Amino acid sequence: MKSTKESSKVIDVAIKALERGQLVFMATETVYIAAVDATNENAVKKLIAFKNRPFGKPFSVGVTDIKMAEKYVILNETARNLYKRFLPGPVTIISTGKHNLAKGVEAENGTLGIRIPDYHFFQEVCKKLDKPITATSANASYQKRPYKLADILDNISEKQKKLVDLMIDAGELPHNEPSTVIDTTLDDQPVILRQGEIKLKKKNEVLSRSEENTQNIAKELWQKYDSFVGKRAIIFALEGKMGVGKTQFVKGLAKAMGIKEEVTSPSYDLLNSYDLLTHIDTWRMLNPNKELEDIGMKDLIHDKSVLAIEWADRTVTEIRKYSEEAIIIWIKIKYPSDNSAQANENYRLISWGNI
Amino acid sequence: MLILAIDTSCDETAVAINSNIQILSSAVWSQSTLHASFGGVLPSLAQRQHQARIDWIVNKALVNCKLKIENCDCIAVTIGPGLAIALEVGINKAKELAVKYKKPLIPVNHVEAHLLSPLAVPRSRILDLRSMKFPCFGLILSGGTTVLCLVKAIGDYEILAETADDALGEALDKAARLVGLGYPGGAILEKFAKTGDPKKYRLPLPLQNDVIKNRFSYSGLKTAFVRLFETIKKPTKQDIADLAASFQSTAFDHILKVLEFQIINSSFLTHNLLFGGGVANNIELKKRLRKLCKKYGIKLLVPYTKKLNGDNAAMIGVCAYLKYKNSNLKDFFDYNSVDRNPKLKI
Repeated sequence: MKSTKESSKVIDVAIKALERGQLVFMATETVYIAAVDATNENAVKKLIAFKNRPFGKPFSVGVTDIKMAEKYVILNETARNLYKRFLPGPVTIISTGKHNLAKGVEAENGTLGIRIPDYHFFQEVCKKLDKPITATSANASYQKRPYKLADILDNISEKQKKLVDLMIDAGELPHNEPSTVIDTTLDDQPVILRQGEIKLKKKNEVLSRSEENTQNIAKELWQKYDSFVGKRAIIFALEGKMGVGKTQFVKGLAKAMGIKEEVTSPSYDLLNSYDLLTHIDTWRMLNPNKELEDIGMKDLIHDKSVLAIEWADRTVTEIRKYSEEAIIIWIKIKYPSDNSAQANENYRLISWGNI
Repeated sequence: MLILAIDTSCDETAVAINSNIQILSSAVWSQSTLHASFGGVLPSLAQRQHQARIDWIVNKALVNCKLKIENCDCIAVTIGPGLAIALEVGINKAKELAVKYKKPLIPVNHVEAHLLSPLAVPRSRILDLRSMKFPCFGLILSGGTTVLCLVKAIGDYEILAETADDALGEALDKAARLVGLGYPGGAILEKFAKTGDPKKYRLPLPLQNDVIKNRFSYSGLKTAFVRLFETIKKPTKQDIADLAASFQSTAFDHILKVLEFQIINSSFLTHNLLFGGGVANNIELKKRLRKLCKKYGIKLLVPYTKKLNGDNAAMIGVCAYLKYKNSNLKDFFDYNSVDRNPKLKI
């Protein structure tokens, strides 16, 4: 593995490496990425081996501009608007792919996530190479975000290190959030799969007037995500004080999913499963992040389960580990403040986002 | 029949040796009792701990009654309900022992075992089961279960009411933790309640508009309690006692109202009420149940020792015996058919 300092002089070194199908670590405005030529089958195989993840998990790719993007994806109006508004910048936009990249880059359903990093070195390399570059973060799956090369090297095996051909060191990057991932393939309404620094303005907050209302809100929210069933794991991460109705929300979710059984509190058993849905409660856990891991999070995510996790604010670290693979919807339920217009003992404010 | 019984359905790792319904020894490794002296620490997820403790507990149960596995006629194990990965530890151990010592393996339902736990007897006594008349009522109240059923015969149950959300034990623990009494705080809540005024605070009786009382619910009461507690600035010790008494009293009223409705409307003449589960430790509740039962000529039967209320394996052995005493043990050698069932119902 070669290592060199980032400068305009090494642009050609990077290009040469990528042309040879090598795996290169380089910086972007968010995190270090594991870059390979996205059109080169062998290079992508190497990347899959490095990331240690099963074939069929998609990789986002970086391009230089919307024109280059259009060679690889079909842009609908929503996507165009988002490109105009946010790119270059820390946003990954998922569109329907044109199936002309190396196998394993596009998702199984033929979609592809594209971003245009707002980072000079990357732009130069990509422009001269004139090919899309994989822009997945340079950490192995489930490890912490790579803001400096040492972060990565500390967390990968010798075997993985051997797969890396070149590292371009830009020092420690500012700790920016990873890119916001927005799916535009479903309909005209973009769905945020992962919330990064860029936040869509519209605030998702509704007033629930009763337990039944809370259940119905859950049902409506489920409609937004049920098309992902079987494609990705979906996590409903619930926050809110004791008694606000977190279990009520899950009852609504279960009904929307067609589950006939009565959903009861999993506080005592920690985990209840109902067909597709796994209902978890961390309230009783002593070491919540660790115990959530022990209870089998990895397998549940791998099986593309639907999870509803109560007291999710106690297990943010463990849940965030899966931000690449799972769709995570954070749901906050609170009592309206006593002096607000919505003050009523049965009323609740329910907000959600993919933060 | 000598039975070695194992239960790892949730937090406790438990093994017991029974002779029929007589308990010869019962070993329980419980996180909650260990930690209670530290002001209540949350129990940690059980799988690794079960794994680490199971052999030691098996050995302890055997040593306590000076028996060997070879002496036992069969092995009984909890297959549910409970946490899958925890159940698995007990089931795997039971299978391992069954294979090694060529013993029949009997699967047991943890909730059914709680239900039948009042029928257990200590080493020194023999209960004549012929005095036990069916049908009778069964009430199981614990951290994870809130069920009222009709026991038509052992193994033949009809659910009359169960919880739509929180279990009673869970609600008591949550109320206790909310007012600062730690976890698991149900027992401490009871202590505070003793010196409190149960009429000090008015809390809503759950599901009081149900004309047909065939379910329980504690989430609404819990919410009302949270809201009530928020209005009390700097609660004194007496406030906590009054809150504890009010909460407990309302929570128990709900159980009694549903039970009384079911007694009055039952088409059977019942003589007994079997009461098991961790909440059976609560003296106030037992007193109130006894009073209600007396009114209808029903006898309240609770386990002879508090140790049978919380999770334990002795009740697993009792259940295995009562259910299968007339079966042929040769039918229990299909080990592969014994599998965990986290959501098993009675």
